[in-house]
Amino acid sequence: MIKWKSLGTLAGLVLAALALMFGTTSMAQAADEGGGDDILKIGWAQDPQTLNPFVGLDEEDFTIWAINWDLLVNFDPVDLSPSPGIAESWEVSDDKKTITFKLPEGHKWSDGEPVTSEDVKWTLENLATEGELFTSYTNNVTSIETPDPQTVVIKTKKPDARIIGGLLIYILPEHIWGKVPKDELTTTYQPSLPLVGTGPFIVTEFDRGRIIEMDRNPEFAGDKPKLDQIQFIKYGNQDAVERALQLGEIDVDPEVSAATFDNLADKPDIGVVKSPSPSFTELAFNVCPESECPDAEFNPAIQDKAVRQAIAYSVDREKINEIANRGTSFVANGLLPSYYQDFYQEPEQTYPFDPEKANQILDDAGYTREGDGIRSKDGDELSFNLYVRSESPSNIQAAKLVAEMAREVGIEFKVEVVSVDKLTELTIRQENGKPAPAFDSFIWGWGGDAYDPSFLLSLMTTGEIGGSSDAFYSNPEYDKLFEEQAGSFDTEERKDTIRQMIDLLQEDVPYLVLSEDPNLQAYRTDRLGEVDVACPEGDGDLFCEQAGYEPLLSLTTTGGSDGSSDDDGGGGSGVLIAIIAVVVIAGVAFLVIRSRRRGGEALEEDEPAEGEEPMEEPEEPEEPAEDEK
Amino acid sequence: MSARWLTGKVAAAILTLVFVVIFNFFLFRVMGDPTTQLARLPQSTPDEIEKLKADYGLDKPLLGQFADNVGDTVRGDLGISQKSRQPVVDEILDALPWTLLLVGTGTLIATLLGSWMGVIAATRRGQKTDDAMLGFSMFTYASPEYWIGIILILVFAVWIPILPSGLQVTPGVEFSSWLAEAADVAEHLILPATAMTLMLLGQYFLIMRSSMVDVLTEDFITVKRATGQRWDRVVRKHAVPNALLPLVTLSAIQFGAVVGGAITIETIFSWPGLGELTFQAINDKDFPVLQGTFLIFSFGVILANLLADILYFYLDPRVQTK
Repeated sequence: MIKWKSLGTLAGLVLAALALMFGTTSMAQAADEGGGDDILKIGWAQDPQTLNPFVGLDEEDFTIWAINWDLLVNFDPVDLSPSPGIAESWEVSDDKKTITFKLPEGHKWSDGEPVTSEDVKWTLENLATEGELFTSYTNNVTSIETPDPQTVVIKTKKPDARIIGGLLIYILPEHIWGKVPKDELTTTYQPSLPLVGTGPFIVTEFDRGRIIEMDRNPEFAGDKPKLDQIQFIKYGNQDAVERALQLGEIDVDPEVSAATFDNLADKPDIGVVKSPSPSFTELAFNVCPESECPDAEFNPAIQDKAVRQAIAYSVDREKINEIANRGTSFVANGLLPSYYQDFYQEPEQTYPFDPEKANQILDDAGYTREGDGIRSKDGDELSFNLYVRSESPSNIQAAKLVAEMAREVGIEFKVEVVSVDKLTELTIRQENGKPAPAFDSFIWGWGGDAYDPSFLLSLMTTGEIGGSSDAFYSNPEYDKLFEEQAGSFDTEERKDTIRQMIDLLQEDVPYLVLSEDPNLQAYRTDRLGEVDVACPEGDGDLFCEQAGYEPLLSLTTTGGSDGSSDDDGGGGSGVLIAIIAVVVIAGVAFLVIRSRRRGGEALEEDEPAEGEEPMEEPEEPEEPAEDEK
Repeated sequence: MSARWLTGKVAAAILTLVFVVIFNFFLFRVMGDPTTQLARLPQSTPDEIEKLKADYGLDKPLLGQFADNVGDTVRGDLGISQKSRQPVVDEILDALPWTLLLVGTGTLIATLLGSWMGVIAATRRGQKTDDAMLGFSMFTYASPEYWIGIILILVFAVWIPILPSGLQVTPGVEFSSWLAEAADVAEHLILPATAMTLMLLGQYFLIMRSSMVDVLTEDFITVKRATGQRWDRVVRKHAVPNALLPLVTLSAIQFGAVVGGAITIETIFSWPGLGELTFQAINDKDFPVLQGTFLIFSFGVILANLLADILYFYLDPRVQTK
């Protein structure tokens, strides 16, 4: 009798486990099919904290905004050059200070309201002054006029090419945002959903920390997108995103980490994309002149151009890329990343790795090696602090490599790993109302705008000292050239001016740009097929992330459409039945064990072997049963 | 229960809580000026930084900020998240149920299973069952929870793909009923709850086992047996209640560790609870949110200890007579 019962218990538990497995599988299928809709699933470990561009600060925010809204002038997916956005055409006056934009007739917001010049004016006058990430784009704008609903006239105090190619301000519907009080816009305002826009998909669900759903915009002016919906799914960490991709739970991982990129590339059904981006990592030097920063703290030797040039020759940037960035970056040559195809030229001076040359320069400059191998001149030892952020393991590694390499030519870098806050403090430090940076060198990075290079170039202008400049470089010739390129609407002419600017920087070396940081993405080839990258064509990413939405129009998930249109709830109730079954069976099993105990208690003590069976088994199955609670 | 005894316990708890509020506030102020990181934003001007400081009340002197903070906390206003610009209270209330579900399930199973196994092992001390349970518990107790989590994912989501590897519910699915949704959540709960259980099980088991072993060697057990009572009755009625006391203490003290474990487990399984909220807030340096979650965690630990004291009152008659 006892034997039979324990056998029954065992059978019950096995059944329960089977039922659970079965239920689970049917659920997974139901979830995959998702009602037969063509849904693109993108996973990420960081999601936007707000949809309000007045307060949003994160990269991920841009990813959503760039799909939901248009710019006044969009970026062409082929070469990122200016292409029709909210405006279909534009004209520059002869003095280049007046630009007239024409809006197309019949263009509508997703709620059916017409898109007018008032929307543009309101956005440029509000988002561009109050939005934390959008200020300064309109610094040169003196007036915005709207002679009719289809025309916007922008006047600037000096020619500014960014008004066409770099006005990174998403045009918002004035009839919605204009009604919100300004102090609410810049603090707690959360737009209601669906998020009215002009892009191909608009946000219909925003469950922060979990999911963002974007559905097709019924009023979208371009070709109807093939996808029905895009889902951005938030995971707890980057590993979880990559696992979800490998398991096929998501279709795209837009931010693969350098450490796992090669590994993912080898996996079946997974395609990877490595594309240049407008961001770089640099070794920055404190070159602040006395006049700008009288109280700066640094080793004066760092301000000797010869020393910085020698450092540049002594550092093997290829090796840093190979080791610190696992070969995923692009070796940089100068301040402007090669990503800026229209404006980039390889500078004449690229500082190839050449320790001989470095030694030569230092010898010529009169720095001689001391007993410990570190060079010095007139008591000034070539020993510098090198700050690096604790949150970036690859930067820390790069710093150690720099120190190792420079040591070979007699220059010492003392690597100090600090928090972002600490490094910020050192760079923005002020004394008596003037900048007083307290460092010799550091490693950090910058990211530029999608097409127009002005932002990155502005980092080296005297005007940015006390602003964004963190090498505190000041060179009147550079400043003059900067103004010239910023006002140039002729790409070839502008490219030439920029080349001269980069040459000046390569000579003076306020930054030694170590690497151009790539966008690393991965996707399911069994779901999306082979995707042609865009922005720019052939050398860009999967969906023009943050620079547009063009590739999303033709993207489709092959797996999604041929599944049967099974109701989602069907699988769910299967699981439910399974779980109820487990609960019931576990309950019965419990009673059986209990009653057997009661009945056979006399035996219990003498036959401990008996007790072993029920005891070890419930461990696994009991948990799902309890989970019901 | 004497009112005076209870008042004393509650007062002590409140006092601790007050200390936590004070400590919490200054802890985040010594960590540096929260706005420095914003200064690194492209194109942020000193004016904008001043404006940000004013927005968060950071332009006031420290004591003024503290007074504001205490007042707000008492009113249940934990401030505005620097990241999402939403009230911290909302963020916490959004995440709290998920943590309670995970921590509750894990703790419940671990306590029941752990104490049950402890009783069994103690009554079969030195036998194979005891050895096996002891070995198993030592193993799970010694394993870090993130490792357990990763192994569970590897086995049940990657090698034998029968369970979801993370998240709390299948994303983007419209459920036909709340029952279907509950089933989906339950399915997602299995792995993280198992990880939670395994993390806690060993300790509960070991405490229960040693406590039982102690009790079983005491004279009154021998006496009870000598009176001819059934063995399982002696164990159930006399040994277990006495052995439970250390377990109750442990559960209360453990609460802090449970919360710590929840941060790791929630992050690994992308479970959107307080732990993940904390993890994100640390990444984002979102001080108001961190201050809020710390407060909730401390509150939880204090409450758990208070409850343990009260429970002791009922479990241990010696407390009542004092």
